Amino acid sequence: MTTTPVAPGSVTFDRLDLDVNGTPTVVLAAGDPAAPPVVFLHGAGTFHGWAFAEPWAAQFRVLIPHHPGFGDSGDLEGLHEVHDLVIHYVDLFDRLGLTADVRLVGFSLGGLIAARFAIEQKHRLQRLVLVAPTGLRVPGVEVDDLFTIPPEQLVGRLVHRMDTLLPHLPSDPHDVDFNVDRYRETRTAAIVLWDHPFDRVLPRWLGRVDTPTLVVWGEEDRLLPPALAPAWAELLPNATVATFPEAGHLVLDESPEASAAVAKFCAD
Amino acid sequence: MGLVDQAEFHYFHFFPYTRLPPDHGERESLWVDFPNSNYDPAVGHELYNRYLQQMVLADSLGYDGLVLNEHHNTQYSMNPAPNLTAAALIPQTKSWISVFGTPPNLGYPNRLAEEYAMLDVMSGGRLKVAFPLGTGMEYWANAVNPATARARFRESIDVILRCWTDDGPQTFAGDFYTYRYLNPWPRPVQQPHPECFLVGTGSPETIELAAELGFGYSVVFIPRVAQLKVFDSYRERLAHHGHEPTPDKIAFGVFAYVAENDDLAEQEFLPHIMYFFENNLRTTARYLNPPGYVTVPEFRKRIQAADVHGTTNWDDLVAINRIVAGTPEKVADAIGGWIEEAGANRITLNLTIGDMPHWKVVKNTTLFAEEVIPRLRARKAAPKEVVA
Repeated sequence: MTTTPVAPGSVTFDRLDLDVNGTPTVVLAAGDPAAPPVVFLHGAGTFHGWAFAEPWAAQFRVLIPHHPGFGDSGDLEGLHEVHDLVIHYVDLFDRLGLTADVRLVGFSLGGLIAARFAIEQKHRLQRLVLVAPTGLRVPGVEVDDLFTIPPEQLVGRLVHRMDTLLPHLPSDPHDVDFNVDRYRETRTAAIVLWDHPFDRVLPRWLGRVDTPTLVVWGEEDRLLPPALAPAWAELLPNATVATFPEAGHLVLDESPEASAAVAKFCAD
Repeated sequence: MGLVDQAEFHYFHFFPYTRLPPDHGERESLWVDFPNSNYDPAVGHELYNRYLQQMVLADSLGYDGLVLNEHHNTQYSMNPAPNLTAAALIPQTKSWISVFGTPPNLGYPNRLAEEYAMLDVMSGGRLKVAFPLGTGMEYWANAVNPATARARFRESIDVILRCWTDDGPQTFAGDFYTYRYLNPWPRPVQQPHPECFLVGTGSPETIELAAELGFGYSVVFIPRVAQLKVFDSYRERLAHHGHEPTPDKIAFGVFAYVAENDDLAEQEFLPHIMYFFENNLRTTARYLNPPGYVTVPEFRKRIQAADVHGTTNWDDLVAINRIVAGTPEKVADAIGGWIEEAGANRITLNLTIGDMPHWKVVKNTTLFAEEVIPRLRARKAAPKEVVA
């Protein structure tokens, strides 16, 4: 494992380079290594930055792994289903000594991975936060398929205010590197989600997760409607829902209150 | 025997649905999401009959074979199940029937091995097949993950070859397909199996696979000049794997129109070939490249390269494709030149294209058969110049 600093915002993340069972894995880390750990599992795109997690570093050891096939991590050879990612994180948690007291925060695709992880690994978790998680089919709530939304519309549907994303978008929409990176990340998402965008394990097994859980949603989420939130809370025996106004799918990026609520929930 | 006089001419028909609504120009894509409410079965019935008649005409005029392909959710082709069309043609024809073809990973490969064997048996051994991966559009239309399409494609070909080359019952335990009793009836007439091709756009993986299996290579959708390098590479790999790189192992397409003079030919051909490129092929980058359909490096190449779908730039079209319209002599010269240049002589002929009316199809098909093919058959290979 090597450690190199990452270009700072208000908080400097260190970049940890690990080999997780053959998958080159990058973990961004900030905060006191002795502080309680918060692990953030990102969504299906890594381009919008981690500014929302910077305040967490004041009281937690913040760890942001890039999923296999996303961001700076390598591909997981033989990746087939969400469960492969769960096992990847079991291995990574073992490597990082994350055996207990973990505050696991998962957003969107990362929310699905976090929920699946919690079903099998709840003994490692102190708190679970699911931020606009994907993967649950709720009768009566219509959800547009991620892969079917044209990319030029997708960006706008991620946020309530475009200025949230503008600093993270290339000035040229045809920027080759940016589009190749998005293609690679969407490809990885497709490997695990194309055949079954709705997870078949969640409805049957979420009831196991008695970990205190916070379900977070932006009230203006136009990708995964906030109407999904109560269904998650109903399946999870120890969950509460918190919604935040004037925030879209990227609720943590758009609402400092949401980010603060996550920190408060993890500290309690 | 020379390259040109031994060339094979296979008559390709896309079976397009050509009755488009007046406002179709407002749509970005005429594939995948072009509403099927625009399909009128009565028009379809008329077109199927007309197209089958045209194929039968081509057979009676002595073309070496007839070629069909498969596409889904589109006006480009009314052959989502080309084996049905092949079955309709078999009792009316005597030439080769090439199904070029069904993506073997879109359904169950044992089923495709069975269907192809049926066609081969019904036709008395007149079937040729090509295995395409299928365009990106097919993966929006079918319940197959584009991100694993290539791995599934490879394994499905293994299943089909096992069906044809080894006696059943067998077992097959793959990543995508598990067979406890792989034992399809019937078996093909042609032993061990009909001549097979892979359809490719020049990717080294496909070239290698075709060469390894000793399959022919049918090239589509890359510029003519780039094709020549692909052919060299394919021949080199074919020889490497111990297969003779004969000129008939490479199939390439030609768009041609023959008339009394060059001006008339261009005038009669142009609207329909433009219709083909502007309408039949009109789709979006997103539909061409569903997630994972190509590797990440290949995606980078693609977004940096020109897109042939829906292009209306004539210079690009001519650079990418082999297109000729003119007198029999002009058309024969062009095709003879392309054969020499490619060192390959299996030609898939697009003599009917887009919304070409029946009279032009009959005229072009007949003139090509009676005036162009005999001219090429009469040609001997140009003697190689001796370089001092």
